[in-house]
Amino acid sequence: MSTRTLARWGAVGVVSLLALGACGSGGDEDPADGEGTSAASEESEDPIRIGVSLPLTGDFAEPGLGVQRGYDAWVEQVNSNGGLLGRQVELIVLDDASNAARVVSDYESLIAQEEVDLLFGPFSTRLVVPASRVASEYGMLFVEPAAAAAEVFENGFENIFYAAPAIAPDHYNYLADYILAMPEDERPQTMAVTSMDDPFAQGTAYGLRDKLVEGGIEVVVDEVYPPNATDMSAIAAQIADADPDLLVGGTLYQDAVNLILALQQLDYQPRLAAFSTAPTNVEFPEAIGGAVDGILAPTGYSLAAEWPSNAEFIEVHNELYGTDPQEDEANGYTTGQVVQAAVEAVGCAEQGECQQQLIAWLHENSVDTVVGPIAWDDAGRPNGAHMILQYTDGEIQIVLPEDAAQAELVYPKPEW
Amino acid sequence: MRSVSETRAARTAAQSGAAGGGSPGRLRPTVIILLVAGVLALWPLIAGNPYMLSAGVIVLNFAVFATAWNIMGGFTGYISLGHTAFFGLGAYGTALLVINWDVPSFVALLIAAVVTLVIAIPVGFAALRVRGASFVIVTIALVLVLQLVFQGWGNVTAGSAGLVVPRPFPDLLRPEHHLVFYFLFLALLVVVLVVWMLIDHSRFGAALKAVREDEDKAESLGVATGKMKLTAFAVSAFFVSLSGGLYGLWFGDLDPIFQFDVVLSVQVVLMALLGGIRYLFGPLVGAIIVGAALEYFLLNFGETQFHLVATGLLLAAVVLFVPDGVLTGLAQLIGRFKPQAASIREQSAEELRDEREASKAKKVEAEKVETRQAEAQQSKEEDRG
Amino acid sequence: MVSGALLFQGLILGVLLGGLYALLAAGLTLYFGIMRVVMLAHATFIVLSAYIAWRFATLTGLDPMLSLIATVPLFFLIGFAMQRYLLVRLRPATMTMMSVLITFAIALIIEGLLGLVFSGTQRRINLPYGTSSVEFFGAQIPVVQIISFALAAVSLVILYLVLKKTRFGRALRATIQHREAAQLVGIDTGKIAGFGFGLGLATAAVGGAALSLQATIYPSLHWHWIGPLMAIIVVGGLGSIPGAALAALILGVVRLMLEIPLGPTWAQTIFYLALFLTLMVRPYGFFGGRLAQRF
Repeated sequence: MSTRTLARWGAVGVVSLLALGACGSGGDEDPADGEGTSAASEESEDPIRIGVSLPLTGDFAEPGLGVQRGYDAWVEQVNSNGGLLGRQVELIVLDDASNAARVVSDYESLIAQEEVDLLFGPFSTRLVVPASRVASEYGMLFVEPAAAAAEVFENGFENIFYAAPAIAPDHYNYLADYILAMPEDERPQTMAVTSMDDPFAQGTAYGLRDKLVEGGIEVVVDEVYPPNATDMSAIAAQIADADPDLLVGGTLYQDAVNLILALQQLDYQPRLAAFSTAPTNVEFPEAIGGAVDGILAPTGYSLAAEWPSNAEFIEVHNELYGTDPQEDEANGYTTGQVVQAAVEAVGCAEQGECQQQLIAWLHENSVDTVVGPIAWDDAGRPNGAHMILQYTDGEIQIVLPEDAAQAELVYPKPEW
Repeated sequence: MRSVSETRAARTAAQSGAAGGGSPGRLRPTVIILLVAGVLALWPLIAGNPYMLSAGVIVLNFAVFATAWNIMGGFTGYISLGHTAFFGLGAYGTALLVINWDVPSFVALLIAAVVTLVIAIPVGFAALRVRGASFVIVTIALVLVLQLVFQGWGNVTAGSAGLVVPRPFPDLLRPEHHLVFYFLFLALLVVVLVVWMLIDHSRFGAALKAVREDEDKAESLGVATGKMKLTAFAVSAFFVSLSGGLYGLWFGDLDPIFQFDVVLSVQVVLMALLGGIRYLFGPLVGAIIVGAALEYFLLNFGETQFHLVATGLLLAAVVLFVPDGVLTGLAQLIGRFKPQAASIREQSAEELRDEREASKAKKVEAEKVETRQAEAQQSKEEDRG
Repeated sequence: MVSGALLFQGLILGVLLGGLYALLAAGLTLYFGIMRVVMLAHATFIVLSAYIAWRFATLTGLDPMLSLIATVPLFFLIGFAMQRYLLVRLRPATMTMMSVLITFAIALIIEGLLGLVFSGTQRRINLPYGTSSVEFFGAQIPVVQIISFALAAVSLVILYLVLKKTRFGRALRATIQHREAAQLVGIDTGKIAGFGFGLGLATAAVGGAALSLQATIYPSLHWHWIGPLMAIIVVGGLGSIPGAALAALILGVVRLMLEIPLGPTWAQTIFYLALFLTLMVRPYGFFGGRLAQRF
């Protein structure tokens, strides 16, 4: 026999061996955190297992970790208060490395192999749609901490719910109303919009842009940059050259910092400046050299909000991590609360028909959370609105809506 | 000196000899391919749950991709890191045809693959004008530029919002969906394996291998290296595109940063190298090993970025220590158990010397006898005369 | 309507960017010239150096440029070791292809380690002069970009002087031009190649520090640079440093200017357009001169 043929038989042998070996090693593919296999046990002592896939590594790692902290805080709170339906709760977390194919495999593994009882959603818009599809095709309830983009709700999924007050295009609603309510001569006349090529960031910025355009404000610069862009000088040059009254940034974090630094270098002073996400980050003031006064940002969550469950949340979070929670943690915690409410109302926590009952209940009812009461429409969109924050004297405070305001909105913005 | 026609005949004979002969050489490998496919078809029975089944689909997808890549990489030795571009083009092409023009899914799959083939020709022409390093650079650049284009062209491709691919069989439950696609991928794998095998046994394949061994000599022998390389490039692009389109139909959600990812290219090259690029089943074996390894790395080390480190280490190890692949090592191992053509004689030096002396003595004896006979003959003739 | 002031501003920024590109590309083309190696890990080393500069600045509070005192010699040694102990183990027949794969493996390993140690969070150094700028005929030039341009210019001049005026430089150029001939005149090409590699990686150290001044860094940042840098060295002519520098300057300016009408995503495609154009029209590269190789 020639070497080639030998090699071919060798290949057949290897393939067969691997196939047999793989079936035996099916158990080896358990995640590091996975423990018991008793999902269908009669004893109520068995923990309720909740499966999650999060980007713990890769490009979305930082907010992914924030959401995980929120989930863990919720688990801690539930377990110390007697558990869910009298059973302890256990979280099984898989890393999806910020990759869509992985997030699908992770949820498939959690549902079909780990046979978890409940699911929590993943982080980042780019991962949410594929993940929702898996959950939907297995008929599982899918409450998500990060499904803000409008596209998520246009796929016909009936099982998804966003655990925050409003979807992205509505984040700036209060600000839009405020601006359009200003007298003609005081109102900003021109605006610049620049956003990261990301459905969430664009959703927030374009939501505001479209409302203001309807109200008669002119857009002089409208730019999109890729998520990995590090050099904002060209965009900053365009904005500085056009000198608009209002600047809206659809940003995440570092891109906002880079943009603001570039604008400072070019000495451009907006009269009103709003950025999504970035200003609520603790490191933001230092990153832009302390010149934060007057910067606006939308937020779903506020430490000062007086919703009933907020105090306990802040307490548990500080116990576990020694710091106050931020928006990502709050989104995670809210997800837990929503699932908890449904499970306690319906009285079951397992795969199968129970999931349909949970979904139906959530479509009919509202849930009290650390970001207020939330109710959803048929597609899973929440019906609330985000608050608007502004930095005053170096401190970030709620300025809109007026009935929750801690300070008054400052306009025009002091120079940075 | 041989005549020209004799030389040509000898060359043809050598070529076809190297190619493994005529039709009888193609039947056995085909049977083996079907056997292997039969073994792989057992996986759905072994797999305990839909997740394992979907993992099988992913591995088969890798196997098709790697084998199709090997049509270029294995035969010509040109390592393209850009075949992900064709994978993505196939996926997006199929999706766009189905979404915008209501083309039936599998027809769209074929059309997208043909379109990719057409695109691959000028790209291949530009890339193959240069050798070695620049070829690699160009192929990487291809993936990166397509990522930018598909990200920027949001009106057509939905850019970063992601493109949803309609399912070809919308009424299937998810586990059944996995099952159907498992067999579809398996069928595609058989097709690609057969194509690779046919090329391997053909004059075309022999010409490509000549390019791999020494391109300048091949050119001087009259092989149309440019055309050959381009054909291989285009054919491999066609099949990679088919696998991409099928993946799109199965997975359902496309996103430029995941579809046009250079790391995926490298993983596929790793699979082909690990298995052995000169062997029919090399990429398949590599796909199984690396696919399982990647899954293992991510599930056990996914809490940190270590899985990237592990992939890099594996790639480095393969390049440094096993550049010919696992199957070559296996073949050599099996070869050791066969009777050897030993380079060491079974006799000792002393025995050899004795033997030589004995035979020398015999020769001297024989010569003496001959001389005596000749002398006797001569004297007889002299006596007569 | 794009104003003249905006164009001028764009031009200035483009030149500064081009200078940085020139520094980053010089090392890349050097590896190629010495050993016909496509060093895909070059960009990762740039990012590594940037991380070291960042860490240094956050730990000590001193200016990140000071980290160069340690990183330049360190990277030189790593480059030397890589060439002498790793790359020579590859078979000469498949050197180019295999070097791509192994340097890619190194890039993945470093990216993974960076993510392991520093996590995927994006970082930026907080500099006291981070927002200041200098005015120049109506255009605002950010100070950090001036510094990185100056760093790039100084490094390229030093590189030029080393290559032209020193014995080592002459030996290196001889090795690049024709390895066997260099051996015939008595040059220890093995050692020289190692030093050349070290030199290339040292430029990565400088480039990384320059980058850290003005950009955010994260482990997978190198993907953003590999494409443009490779396009630059092909356009400039593989193996030719002046070619790479010139190509870098031109492409940097064009890219930045194009960002104004086209936006960042489409502007980035200029590199690949230039690459394909070069291959179709003049595969040796446009600016290479005598040192440009036919790979």
